[in-house]
Amino acid sequence: MKKTIKNLISLFSGGNRKASAVPFPVLFRSFQEILATNNKMLERIADVNDKLGGNYIFDRHYIDTTCQEITDLALKLIHGLDTMAPKKYMALYNAFRRISAEIEKDLSGERPYCPFGELTLPYEAIDHDAEETVGGKNANLAELNNFLDLRIPRGFAVTGTAFYTFLGKNGLGQKIDTIRHGWISGDVPLEDAAREIRQLITTTPLPGNLEKAVNSCLAQLAPESKNKPLFLAIRSSAWGEDGELSFAGQYKTVLNVPAADFADAYRQVVASAYSENALTYRQEAGFQENSITMAVACQIMVDAVVSGVMYTLDPQGNGHTMQLGATWGLGAPLVSGQVSGDRFIIERTSTHPVKTMQIVRKENALYSLPDGGTALTQVPVDQQTRACLNKDQVKHIAETGLLIEKYFKKPQDIEFTMDRQGQLTILQTRSLNIKLEEVPKAADLAQLLSHCSILFSDKGEIAQKGIATGKVYMLSDDSALRDFPAGGILVARFASPQLARVMAKASAVLTDVGSATGHLATIAREFRVPCILNIGDATKRLHPGQEITVDAEANIIYECLVDELSYYDLTEEAIEETVEYRLLRRVLKNIAPLNLLDPKEKKFTPAACRTFHDITRFVHEKAVEELIDRNYYQHHAPNTASGKLCWKIPLDLVLIDIDGGLKPGFQKGDVTPDEILSVPLQSLLKGLAHPDVWDNEPMSVDLKSFMSSLTRTFSTEVASPKFVGQNLAVISKEYANVNLRLGYHFTVIDSYVSDNINDNYAYFRFFGGVTDQTRRSRRATFLGKVLANHDFRVELRDDLVVARIKKLNKDRMLSRLEVLGLLVGFTRQLDVKMLSEQHINKYVEKFNQLMEVSICPNNKKPVS
Amino acid sequence: MPEQQKTSILILDDEPIVSQRLKPSLEKQGYEVETFTASLDALKRTREKTFDIVITDLKMEGLDGMGFLGKVKEKSPATEVIVITGFATMETAKESFQKGVFDFLAKPFKMGEIIAAIKKAEQKIKQTL
Repeated sequence: MKKTIKNLISLFSGGNRKASAVPFPVLFRSFQEILATNNKMLERIADVNDKLGGNYIFDRHYIDTTCQEITDLALKLIHGLDTMAPKKYMALYNAFRRISAEIEKDLSGERPYCPFGELTLPYEAIDHDAEETVGGKNANLAELNNFLDLRIPRGFAVTGTAFYTFLGKNGLGQKIDTIRHGWISGDVPLEDAAREIRQLITTTPLPGNLEKAVNSCLAQLAPESKNKPLFLAIRSSAWGEDGELSFAGQYKTVLNVPAADFADAYRQVVASAYSENALTYRQEAGFQENSITMAVACQIMVDAVVSGVMYTLDPQGNGHTMQLGATWGLGAPLVSGQVSGDRFIIERTSTHPVKTMQIVRKENALYSLPDGGTALTQVPVDQQTRACLNKDQVKHIAETGLLIEKYFKKPQDIEFTMDRQGQLTILQTRSLNIKLEEVPKAADLAQLLSHCSILFSDKGEIAQKGIATGKVYMLSDDSALRDFPAGGILVARFASPQLARVMAKASAVLTDVGSATGHLATIAREFRVPCILNIGDATKRLHPGQEITVDAEANIIYECLVDELSYYDLTEEAIEETVEYRLLRRVLKNIAPLNLLDPKEKKFTPAACRTFHDITRFVHEKAVEELIDRNYYQHHAPNTASGKLCWKIPLDLVLIDIDGGLKPGFQKGDVTPDEILSVPLQSLLKGLAHPDVWDNEPMSVDLKSFMSSLTRTFSTEVASPKFVGQNLAVISKEYANVNLRLGYHFTVIDSYVSDNINDNYAYFRFFGGVTDQTRRSRRATFLGKVLANHDFRVELRDDLVVARIKKLNKDRMLSRLEVLGLLVGFTRQLDVKMLSEQHINKYVEKFNQLMEVSICPNNKKPVS
Repeated sequence: MPEQQKTSILILDDEPIVSQRLKPSLEKQGYEVETFTASLDALKRTREKTFDIVITDLKMEGLDGMGFLGKVKEKSPATEVIVITGFATMETAKESFQKGVFDFLAKPFKMGEIIAAIKKAEQKIKQTL
């Protein structure tokens, strides 16, 4: 390809350079380089995303080199654009510095500080990726409600960004640093340092914007408290608090705070990050002190009758039991060891019978006071020796605990409370770091498993890895989902999205039909439920009630309950928990998300670039714009002509002719299709103009797609097949480089077609779309199939499609370009229609039919 | 029951994550696995014990992987070596194969890929027995 471009460019090398600040050959060469770099960038991003799928073993070296590569590519893109438009987009360098500094910070292990973050986030708006902004406690809790539909206190997170905003007030952060350095260098005793810092924090007012954000969240909570004054629990949710270094008990919780006193309580919690204990603890644990991020949880107080703590795996047990402690009133004194509570040892298996129960005298309990605050109060005598939980409540808590454990894939340490109505509310959940004595070592597992007969193995596709044991629940029809028992293994004929309803309750899901890229697979991954799809005959090989073990790691189904296997799975470090995995996920946040999409939006600026993908997108858009601007709207370079395509289809295509691509003598203005002499472009347009492609009814975008489009910051209408922005083709007699933006799909086609078979090639790249990832991937699969049918070499990565073909004779090349044109038109809204996996083949069929009715003999697939 | 002789594997990689992820998966497949992050420790161990398969990284402090595998092959030519490296180039691949390396995987790799490589190596060992 380079050689061809060089030939083209050499045609102009003798041209008059005064015509434009940057001569056209230079402009075009930079443009080509930008396109090539752009491709590399998208491929690298897709590659890295792939590594997060859990199938790869990667190390720190990989993360470092990949970040370096991607950073270099981003800089190369900016340089490229700067060559095309000198000094015009200098702000891109600022964006680049900002983003690479963030990545550098992640790589060096400093705490993430998100300058764009929200100050507060309601629990409804928190997802797993928000963990670094809101802290583990907030994130876990929000997930319980958002994914598992469990009851949690209404509330919001005061984020890490808020913490930094607060530290910025009156130079608070710097003052703290000075005192802390005094302590570390030995000039100030620990007690004095801690006291001084606490005093500084508790006397610094909250910044105005933080106060405003909090008040607006409090106003949202207020209706819930039914005209009564609002009382809050303010808890720490520091970054890493519940991670591998447990800071449990180091930070403060303030209970039953009147809403008006929020600021005081917030300052107290923040100050607890600098208590003597906390300072020493972090220093000893080797934390970089300046990198503590204290997010805070603000929750409505629950009117607690009974509270307690559950360990879903009893650390003293044999792996078959769970442990529960509970007391009257609030749970704080039980957790801190101030009072003793009733203790229950419960079987992990349904129906969770209580194995042993130890009821103690509960003389005192902590209760909320009517005007705020709490007090340890004497428990009425008749209640002191009564068990504070009954059998049904214990069972309910146990079931809920296992649900949470299954979701987080680790034994859990859960704090809960029950109100007057007997409703269970989860206050906190975190991983329980224990090693069971009786859990077999990996080496023994092979031995253990050898006694177990294998029902079948290596059938179907693993959609979510993991190990589960349980009884087969054979799904006859969807109505039977109502009766699905918690912990059952769901076996069904089809991977219908209906099954999502019971996903949270299932131990594993097996289906005869389905695909690992389908909707149900996505849901299984969301819930982390081991899932094997497309087994073919699972419904025939298994029978209802059969006890089986699903090993969705090695893809083996055993005919027995190998509990050891699932305990092993629970105590093994999940890949998602490894330092490397988390680091990669974190650095990707500054690389992969695409926030800039619509060039018509005001915020389509360098300053709004938050990731390298944004920069990539911005540079591509502006490079196209520059080329159009210089050669169409302004005077164009000598030896080139430019025009706008005047056509029945509103393609809004600007053409720049660099050598014989347009009718001889053409200089400027509207171009009719018959004035185009560029051979590859002719064929492309012919395919694009296929009548059946354009009489499609406008598509209505359903709610899910629409929501998804919102989150991807689209603003313009998505339903009508109209074009956004301007499209560009740079052409010669034998060459066409076409950049199309149709709706929200980005297509680049680059092709050279001549009589010399060895020079001929076509490159096709496609990505984007308005719907969720699943549908975009389906459309990519569709494209891949069609392109492969027409001899293209295809690479698919998520929704990015890259296809190449070369060295076909002229006729065959042109027929492929017609296919590309047809595909671009046909596909422009196809993601919206990709409701299921079956639709992929349906549309491949439909496309083939279109090809067949097309009269052009070149369209026939060559028999080879 | 008389236990079948397990295939023994030594893994050497200076990044702990590699062994940490490989060891349990391979043990679950029935292999006997020892892991090292320092090449000199690994070398010491290979002098005490002959492994069926050695999996090694290339770029490491002290004795590098190429040096290590050379010594391993010298002492026990029957040991099959699988190289895993994040610096895969044509030259290193060539050099590895010249030194009698059985397979060469570029990091990052999939678990399935390394298991397939190990199984192939196992077959070769059985055939030569």
